[in-house]
Amino acid sequence: MKAITASALVLVILLGALFIYVAEDIPAFGDPNSPANRWVNLSISVDAGADVLTSLNDGVVPEVLAEKIKDRGFPLPPGYKVEEEEGGWNVLIPTGERLYHELQEYYFINREGDRLWVYRYSAPVRWQERCEEETGVPNMVTAGLADYRGYDTLGETTVIFTAGISVILLLRRRGKL
Amino acid sequence: MKHKPDVIINTIARLMVPFIQMYALYVMVGTEGAGGGFQGGVVFAASFVLFVTAFGITKGRSRLPESWNTALSSLGLYLYAGIGILCIILSLGIANYLNYGALPLAKLTGIAMTRGLVISFVVEVGIALTVMAIFASIFFDLAWKSEDEGGEQ
Repeated sequence: MKAITASALVLVILLGALFIYVAEDIPAFGDPNSPANRWVNLSISVDAGADVLTSLNDGVVPEVLAEKIKDRGFPLPPGYKVEEEEGGWNVLIPTGERLYHELQEYYFINREGDRLWVYRYSAPVRWQERCEEETGVPNMVTAGLADYRGYDTLGETTVIFTAGISVILLLRRRGKL
Repeated sequence: MKHKPDVIINTIARLMVPFIQMYALYVMVGTEGAGGGFQGGVVFAASFVLFVTAFGITKGRSRLPESWNTALSSLGLYLYAGIGILCIILSLGIANYLNYGALPLAKLTGIAMTRGLVISFVVEVGIALTVMAIFASIFFDLAWKSEDEGGEQ
């Protein structure tokens, strides 16, 4: 009995140490400028030649870059726009959704030295920056729960409803009330 | 087992139940602060649990009758799903299901943020109604004893 207690204590302490170690390793949470929250590097790069730069400044993604982006699995849709940004270019694309904003930030082409790197904006960027004007709810959690993930919440409510109906069918005794 | 009333529990419950229900209504409409439909519904159901603990299951069931309970449990789901269907109907098939921006409320009321109002006052309240009714129903079904099992009627 005593050995079990001692070993359980050791196990709990080890588990606690493991949890603390893992929690220390988590990157700064909620920092809007940390890479994972801001963008994803697509590992696409080309040389920043003169023709590429003039093409980008004219508002067209050059053929070399478009081919590589297509190979990566994110083909450029028709009707995209290129906008100059500090240190690079934003690629804006139209979305298929009606009643939302027409152009969304999709790629960021960053100039580092004499090479161009392509980044993709991640979903939290749109969530943080646009959720209030898109949904009209000042609470980000409610906007995510009922608007962006509306189908999911409808399904959760249906699960609870089904559970209640099952309990009614199995356990309800027919009383006077 | 017959229910024996206790003066302390009765007084505390009579004092607390209105405040718990008020807090549940506040949590339910989660526009500004923390909260949402699920949490608000569970807090509302907890007030019925407290009421039954203090006053007995027969009195509790008379406050929330079985017919009302069953109707409310499906009404919340109908509210939520019906808003989704209304979005399709009122926009004549242009918008998707559950695209609240398609409801012509902004034209009718003149307020720009109607999309948020629909979310907080229809969708969240619908979720809360379903959760409240289902949790209360599960509690009453588990606690109920029929007459031949020696329960009170």
